[in-house]
Amino acid sequence: MNPLKPFSFSPRQAFRVWQREVSVYRYVYKSTIVSNLMDPLIYLMALGFGLGAYVNRMQGLPYIQFIAPGLISSSIMTAATFETTINTFVRIHFDRVYEAMMATPVTVEDIVVGEMMWAMTRSTIYATVMLTVVTALGLTRSWYAIFVPFMGVLGGWMFATLGLTYTSLLKSIDQVNFYFTLFITPLFLFSGVFYPIDNLPQIVKAIAFLSPLYHLVEIIRPLVLGRVDFGVLIHLAWICVFILIFTAVPVNLLRKRLVK
Amino acid sequence: MTSIVEAHGLRKSFGTTEAVQGIDFDVKASECFGFLGPNGAGKTTTMRMIGCVSPLNSGSLKMFGLDTRTSGRQIKQRLGVVPQEANLDEELPVEENLTVYARFFNIPSSVARDRSKELLDFMELTEKRSARVSELSGGMRRRLLISRAMMNNPDLMILDEPTTGLDPQARHLVWDKLFELKRRGVTQIVTTHYMDEAEQLCDRLAIMDQGRIVENDTPQSLVQKHIGREVLEIRLSEKEKSQILALNSELVKGHDSYRDLLILYSDDAERLLEIIKKTATNPEYTIVRRSGLEDVFLKLTGRRLNE
Repeated sequence: MNPLKPFSFSPRQAFRVWQREVSVYRYVYKSTIVSNLMDPLIYLMALGFGLGAYVNRMQGLPYIQFIAPGLISSSIMTAATFETTINTFVRIHFDRVYEAMMATPVTVEDIVVGEMMWAMTRSTIYATVMLTVVTALGLTRSWYAIFVPFMGVLGGWMFATLGLTYTSLLKSIDQVNFYFTLFITPLFLFSGVFYPIDNLPQIVKAIAFLSPLYHLVEIIRPLVLGRVDFGVLIHLAWICVFILIFTAVPVNLLRKRLVK
Repeated sequence: MTSIVEAHGLRKSFGTTEAVQGIDFDVKASECFGFLGPNGAGKTTTMRMIGCVSPLNSGSLKMFGLDTRTSGRQIKQRLGVVPQEANLDEELPVEENLTVYARFFNIPSSVARDRSKELLDFMELTEKRSARVSELSGGMRRRLLISRAMMNNPDLMILDEPTTGLDPQARHLVWDKLFELKRRGVTQIVTTHYMDEAEQLCDRLAIMDQGRIVENDTPQSLVQKHIGREVLEIRLSEKEKSQILALNSELVKGHDSYRDLLILYSDDAERLLEIIKKTATNPEYTIVRRSGLEDVFLKLTGRRLNE
């Protein structure tokens, strides 16, 4: 296969792939939305109320208010990541959904874009639900928060690109675990969700700057708390550049995997 | 008659394995064309190339007059593909397997709903329309796969071993449905390693072995050309075998030999047996039977396992 072969992409066919995921989601959303959102909500309660009772203030905020926007950000990450790792792996290898699609006027390019769109959709749904819960708890301080769902789209895109890239290289489903333990969990803990990274050693700060989640947190927190300044644009630019550079990578890798 | 598929010098390798080594064939409108061959002969690879999912290494493949290299999407719009292993959507109920699939062909949803009802009825699956795929038996899955492949009213159906793994009842039901499709004028390409299936369904057959097409004709002509009307099988020693062959009877159209079994092809096997019995030998086992495609198949592809 020539990796430089021109893309054969049709927006309409990508939309058809996305529609398939919507059709499936109609059967599973009740169970998945609860189980997937329990996770960030448990963190919010346990750490916000529990640890928050001991932590005085974080950047001048009650602790629960500090971590709430961080957990909205991490729910965007987990939604897109689950979708493009475990679920995509099952669609490639176990259910062979893509094989069935490729017998129709759908190409690998359409599949990758459709799956990315779906991951973004799911991230946006989760970001919106999380934002609603956080707002209901009285933790939202600004109307800027209405831009949070839009960050679900961009953040979902970014983590879908990463997830699909990793999944296209996998040989067995057990290898998915590495992605979570070696990549997603460290991102979750070192990207400013639970504490500001300003006070960390220089080297850790430098690594954090490479973390996609860090930039997402640094946009969503100002939006939710109404502290929007020029810095937000820098983080937004980082995410946009990331997307522009890396989106084509999983397209090429999955083409190698699926077209034989 | 116009050719729907024209293949010249198709080649496909995976690493160092040459799965398909330069094959030519053409499929005409409304016929059922079969690829018959042992496992590993290159049938599935050929089907994947016809299905526009596996790019050729070299050669040319035109379908409906379009080049598969450049017009994959337009060609696939007109194909109905039934894969060897079921890849139904396990996450969707039976009927939605059809309607969701129809969307990939951009069929309007009202049309897809009507068509799915019609096809579930045709394939005797109406009772199962709300069932999960996991609740279906092997035969039902295969019928659902065939229904799914028909959602876009294809001009050409590609069926890769459509009855492998099914019980006799289910096989006959599938054959019945495929025969009905043929009667409606739907062109079909079928792979199989079942002789009865090839004889039942196919107007023309390409016998494949080790990536090549070794013969290509109607089932009747293949049998007539390579075997004749009847077959005589005798079990005897090597020495006796050569004695019989030394007779060089004009009744023997050809022969094959496997361990202590001598297989003689003839248009009059009874008379041949009488002659043989006169030559002192007294074989312990003889059988005279009508010839069939299996004889052609074994003659052309050999009696040894080549996996």
